[in-house]
Amino acid sequence: MNDRKKLLHTLLDMAERMLLSGAEIYRVEDTIARMGTASGASDMNVFVIISSIVITMTFPDGETITETRRVTKAASNDFTVLEQLNHLSRQYCMEPFSWQELEQRLAETAETHEHPLSLYAGSALASGGFAVFFGGSVWDGLAAGVLGVLIGLVQKKVRGFFPNTVSFNLACAFAAGCLTGLLTMLFPVLHFGMIMIGDIMLLIPGVAITVSVRDMLVGDTISGSLRLIESILCAVSLAYGFILAIMATGAGA
Amino acid sequence: MMVHAVQLLTAFIGSLGFAILFHVPKKHLFSASLGGFFSWGIYLAGVDVGLGIFLSCLFASAFSALYAEILARVKRAPAVLFFIPAVIPLVPGSNLYYTMLGIGTEDWVSAKANAVLTLQYALSIALGISAMWAVLSIARSIREKRNAS
Repeated sequence: MNDRKKLLHTLLDMAERMLLSGAEIYRVEDTIARMGTASGASDMNVFVIISSIVITMTFPDGETITETRRVTKAASNDFTVLEQLNHLSRQYCMEPFSWQELEQRLAETAETHEHPLSLYAGSALASGGFAVFFGGSVWDGLAAGVLGVLIGLVQKKVRGFFPNTVSFNLACAFAAGCLTGLLTMLFPVLHFGMIMIGDIMLLIPGVAITVSVRDMLVGDTISGSLRLIESILCAVSLAYGFILAIMATGAGA
Repeated sequence: MMVHAVQLLTAFIGSLGFAILFHVPKKHLFSASLGGFFSWGIYLAGVDVGLGIFLSCLFASAFSALYAEILARVKRAPAVLFFIPAVIPLVPGSNLYYTMLGIGTEDWVSAKANAVLTLQYALSIALGISAMWAVLSIARSIREKRNAS
């Protein structure tokens, strides 16, 4: 009896981890249903939206258990963890093991997580690459890369102090814009616009918007619209930050 | 030509950057970033042939979805891991910037034109992906039906 409840709780952990590391909504629902069926449930009822998960398991003897999880963290993308979870679920469905082992192996995937260097290298390559991509010079690319690292640093260290993404984006975009303006004043070879575009590509929720559209198109309309509104708010706050920076530095005109 | 080469190279680098940011496992980094290179190549080819940006972007995003599904099968990894880096170069960062610049400097003509372009890109990316998904899922259900009978 108790084992079933523990299993349900562990499945909720699994679902939450998948959701937070960037899995598609329908993928989470499908995977958890398969895992539940594999571990002996006769019927699985899984409902996932980006802010909440509900799982109901029905067993052959008629017992039905439900647990709900409120998801407060924002979903991000961590494809290493996602791949490991994918692998874990496959193994589980082929040969189900105890909830204790599932719980332990879930905790192990969490530990492989942090990799500070990848954040900086990725930010530098992404913003530097796209600054040149949209027509900047090599110098613009380098400057955007350096700013990208700074943005990465700020996202990691300062994000926690802000109450929400909107206020953080506004401040972050404003700071990045002012810094870019300052850089272009000091080094006239640099182009303000091109560096800004690199920074924008890094901060803009382009991925989130694409993902939200995908969610809506495959039928997860609630999650899709929640995410879409979130990313539009995010994009608008970024835009305000940059616009303020353009006005403050008088650059780009 | 030179511009195209630089764009293809930087599309690859930019996609690589995002792939690293999103912790794509090391063994898939190269193939995931190559998706950005190919999708931008298809966009450029489309524009050169005269398809216009809307259709070119649509084909490029449809390709990204197909590329991700194929690689997911071959490498036995979640498709989303290849899809996101492939579609990144199509995100209209520059148009968005010129929209903001237009608003910031009260150049409403430029702001409006670029806002429309940004929306156009977003719409064609969405259409391209959904068309490809529809095709793939129809193909899948036909195959399953054939296997069942």
